[in-house]
Amino acid sequence: MAEAEEKPLASPQSEGRGEGGEEAPEGAAEGGGAAGAVDPAPPPAGSPGTEEPAGDAKKKIDVLLKAVGDTPIMKTKKWAVERTRTIQGLVDFIKKFLKLMASEQLFIYVNQSFAPSPDQEVGTLYECFGSDGKLVLHYCKTQAWG
Amino acid sequence: EDCFLEEKRFKQYCEEFIKHSQQIGDGWEWRTSKDLGDGYLSKTHFQVRNRNIPRDLKEKNNDNIERTLFTDVEEPLDDSQTAGVCATEEVIRYEYHVLYSNSYQVPVLYFRACFLDGRPLTLEEIWKSVHACYQARLLEGPWDTITQQEHPLLGQPFFVLHPCRTNEFMSSVLSSSRKHSRYTNYIILWLSTVGPVVGLNLPLSYA
Repeated sequence: MAEAEEKPLASPQSEGRGEGGEEAPEGAAEGGGAAGAVDPAPPPAGSPGTEEPAGDAKKKIDVLLKAVGDTPIMKTKKWAVERTRTIQGLVDFIKKFLKLMASEQLFIYVNQSFAPSPDQEVGTLYECFGSDGKLVLHYCKTQAWG
Repeated sequence: EDCFLEEKRFKQYCEEFIKHSQQIGDGWEWRTSKDLGDGYLSKTHFQVRNRNIPRDLKEKNNDNIERTLFTDVEEPLDDSQTAGVCATEEVIRYEYHVLYSNSYQVPVLYFRACFLDGRPLTLEEIWKSVHACYQARLLEGPWDTITQQEHPLLGQPFFVLHPCRTNEFMSSVLSSSRKHSRYTNYIILWLSTVGPVVGLNLPLSYA
């Protein structure tokens, strides 16, 4: 799996437009995959506003997404994600970004050895497993049963 | 690249798993079958479930699942209209077993569930209770996913999560982690992946 050049941590990317993209992108100079990606899917109904109030403590954490096996590699790997985003939310986001069908299965792993449950918040994962200011998550598209 | 699990390794991983479970009081134990000397992991837990959880939990992906469970239901069930349902919140007793399958050479998750009055859940009810995350895949092929089978050691009917693809997905993740010389407990990796489908979540400390 070829690794694309990683974007510097100093300018984290905002989440792709598929996720309630009302907010101003951070580090706006980064054209990158997020702004350029074709993402026709509308934001999920009822998804919370993602605006970050000025001056508040950091509500987002940096996540680095790495593909496992034959799973398609995301053009943009580094994302600033709200702490309260669940694994399920992240799975939905990656599936939309990669244009996978709802019925395809995508799993996320931490430390390449453990799949956090779908309702686990990424903020908690960052506290437990983050290092160098980011949380590395591996994702794998696979059939798990059937 | 296949990562088949030998039975001996299965037992070793289970031993590690039990050790951690004991440390954190997670309730898993190792049971052996009287006749055959085969062993398996076992855990029982109770879960409260609100029958009116909306199918599409994606819309609430920022809500803690517990909050959803205790939210007032929008359409209160009426006893006279819904046969067999008395409450909008129910306690269900789940029993999970992890057995080793010689034919597939992988662990297999067996489980059964019943209400407090002893009434077992039907296969339909089990399918309905699969986490929203996996409902789309389930609907494509419910019979491929969870079916009812006789427990190989106890001879009683249990539900089972189909193991035929286990090796496939385990291989993807394991070969990646092994490439980085990372020690991975097969059982923890596997159970953390498939468990949530049927309401079994492993605390983060297993990682």
